[in-house]
Amino acid sequence: MAIRLQRLPSASPAIALAARAIAILLALVTAGLLLAASGAQPLKLAQQVLKSTFGSGFGLEDVGLLVTPLILTGLSVAVALRIGAWNIGAEGQFYAGAFAATGVALFIPGPTIVMLPLMFVAGALGGLLWILIPTLARAYADVSELITTLLLNFVATLLVYYVATGPWLDPGGHALGTTARLKHDIPEFIGMVHWGFPIAILLAVITAAAFSFTRWGYEVRIAGSNPQAAKYAGMPFRRHLIVVMLLSGAIAGIAGMLEVAGTVHRLQGGISNNFGYLGIMVAVLARGSCIGVIAGAALMAVILNSGIILQTQGINTSTVLAITGLILFFTAVGDELAHFRIVSSKPAEA
Amino acid sequence: MAMPGVTERPPGTPPLVQLRGIAKYFPGVVANQDVDLEVWPGEIHALLGENGAGKSTLMNVLTGIYQPDAGEIVIDGYLKSFASPVEAIAAGIGMVHQHFKLVRAFTVAENIHLGWSETPRRISAQELEARTAQLSASLNLAVRPGARIDELSTGEQQRVEILRVLARKARVLILDEPTAVLTPSEARELFKALKEFVARGNAVIFISHKLDEVLEISDRITVLRGGRKVATEPTGACSEKMLAKLMVGHEIVLDDLRARGPNAVAKANEPVVSLREVTARDSTGHVVLNKVSLDIAGGEILGIAGVAGNGQKELSELLTGMRAASSGQITLGGRDVSTADAADFSDFGVGHIPEDRLRSGLAPALSVTDNAVIREYDRAPVSLGPWYRPRAAAALARKIAEAAAVMVPNYSMPIRNLSGGNQQRFVARREMRIATKLLVAAYPSRGLDVGAINTMMRYFVELRDAGVGIVVISEELEELLNLSDRIAVMFHGEIMGIVDSAGADIEQIGLMMGGQRAAIPVRAAAMVH
Repeated sequence: MAIRLQRLPSASPAIALAARAIAILLALVTAGLLLAASGAQPLKLAQQVLKSTFGSGFGLEDVGLLVTPLILTGLSVAVALRIGAWNIGAEGQFYAGAFAATGVALFIPGPTIVMLPLMFVAGALGGLLWILIPTLARAYADVSELITTLLLNFVATLLVYYVATGPWLDPGGHALGTTARLKHDIPEFIGMVHWGFPIAILLAVITAAAFSFTRWGYEVRIAGSNPQAAKYAGMPFRRHLIVVMLLSGAIAGIAGMLEVAGTVHRLQGGISNNFGYLGIMVAVLARGSCIGVIAGAALMAVILNSGIILQTQGINTSTVLAITGLILFFTAVGDELAHFRIVSSKPAEA
Repeated sequence: MAMPGVTERPPGTPPLVQLRGIAKYFPGVVANQDVDLEVWPGEIHALLGENGAGKSTLMNVLTGIYQPDAGEIVIDGYLKSFASPVEAIAAGIGMVHQHFKLVRAFTVAENIHLGWSETPRRISAQELEARTAQLSASLNLAVRPGARIDELSTGEQQRVEILRVLARKARVLILDEPTAVLTPSEARELFKALKEFVARGNAVIFISHKLDEVLEISDRITVLRGGRKVATEPTGACSEKMLAKLMVGHEIVLDDLRARGPNAVAKANEPVVSLREVTARDSTGHVVLNKVSLDIAGGEILGIAGVAGNGQKELSELLTGMRAASSGQITLGGRDVSTADAADFSDFGVGHIPEDRLRSGLAPALSVTDNAVIREYDRAPVSLGPWYRPRAAAALARKIAEAAAVMVPNYSMPIRNLSGGNQQRFVARREMRIATKLLVAAYPSRGLDVGAINTMMRYFVELRDAGVGIVVISEELEELLNLSDRIAVMFHGEIMGIVDSAGADIEQIGLMMGGQRAAIPVRAAAMVH
């Protein structure tokens, strides 16, 4: 008899889920130990965080505001993954969407009921245009979208800094480095949480349904999983790649529009709050599932909110970044370990 | 020990390389079994065999890429075991692979000195090139030290590879199908260099399936078949006919698969598919199919024989719309389909069992159901208009799995969890559903056990008797002879001839696989009788 590890080709969903829960727990325990080592009291801090987050409607509303952009940037990354593309540029597309929506709000007069849908479309188009060049480069010249989408993030970030501190600077001069307050607000849904939140969830559900219940979704699934098989079945891989990547960019752009019109109300540098990059983590946590993105975004939002609370307790913001990193790391390890099972058997015959 | 064909050597000289009882197993496959091989100083030893005969595995064992499951490696009289190719080269065993392992952006001199313990830690480009020029002169292999690999012809690249190996003081040089990439004049130069190399007391192991060149260059020939050594003979005692027979095997058992059942549809007079002077090129513009003309009738099985890599894959892609012809005409049931794509072919009733099912016939990470409906997802009942119906898809998947006699515990698990044989039967059944006119099967029995192969063959017979035209590409001549009505032999992208399986001369087919034209004019044989 010998005990050995056997790797299964795929992990069962229950074990995978359990592995995730253990991973997140271990990450938090590790973070707690590190905090304790640096002189903080992790248990007291945890209590504080839980109380501030879930103990009041106020805390939950904060989480609701954070979760909206995270669902959409996570969805953006998850959608691109369906066709086998890594959209590292949700951050840039977020800025581009916010920029386009702000431009429409600042320079086109009209009633809010008309302007909000217009800004929504502008946001989607902004994100779409921002991913257009990486998409075409990937589709026609096989240029890695990973690099091109990433690099365009810096362009978008600096563009928004420029307009917010330069040509579009608030003429009223009430705030430094931002545009004027937009005249059109997304109405509230529950408490401070605006209608962007249900819209984000609806978009995730619609996208998930489109992938599961349409012929197009089936073709994208095959093409994304194995382009060679798509060729074999006569499916237009390139067309699907282009459509799906553009959709991914548009979703991130919508996130930017909702953020500026629903939460911040002014275009300013740093408006993305790293939502684009965090979206990558949300998509990975959700294993690329469009519905799973909602849960991943919720977890991420709680962590971000905890960071804000920890800050009030004198903990450095980098700590939160470290905790998110730990979670991703432990999750990756857990996902791999979920493939193994322990078997006791006679040694394998020679 | 009398070693005919090898020059005199003092008594007591051990062989440079001695392999004793080598065995290597992979899951479900015996790659090598009981292989003995002796290579003497001064000898060019040819290793001959069909694809899958175990030549490459044996050489990978000798060069430390694989560790043998049984047997011994004796080098110069000393028992050795190589944990890696680095240890093998240190013992004087070097290999030049079929696909060169050079850094294309580096110069010749840089490639020669890369990863070499004798390369000085600090050295200028000029010195590197000077050292290379010196090596090149002393080993009599002309290279241009300052040239980038990108700028070199294939023959020159191969010389760089050889120089790289010889610079590391290899005494045994293994060449895997070295002439496959060379022009005839480059091949001639290579042979000259090899003769000089062995004249200095070294040895060459020359892997090939080309009979004529093996007879020309080698001193002795070892033939492998099915992972075992069939014979080692001095080249002087060999002829092409005899080698072809050794390679292909003596016993070809003729089953009665060619006989039609009582209810079978007779072979049609009109071809379902016709190729006329079809030429195809790869992405770099090389001709991979050269003026192929072929007719396949409904209710017949046409076998395609040949050593892998002679255009069979391209032919199967052409017949299924996955590859466009650069010239020539393809007609399907009388309709010109030279510009149609794979979806059009499938709509027309062409099924395709691809060569590498995991790479192109399936999406391994997706579910059994997703993979089951890849041919029928665009029609009822799986789709209604733009809508895809997962339940109908699952029902179709169950139907296919039942027909294929594949037990599927869970239809949403990734299809790569199924065994290779089950995947193959699953794909075959899926394709048979749409193959109302033509089924193209590339190496359908590869990786299957005898029982699964039999099942597969019965599938083909069933389809043939229903009046479908079938093209089977295989390396197994026996299989083709048992199954097909006619056999076309491919070599270097051309059809060397088409013979009737009944009363076919195996030796002649072997010779055609090695590049000889059929005695009968090809065009006449290509017509449907």
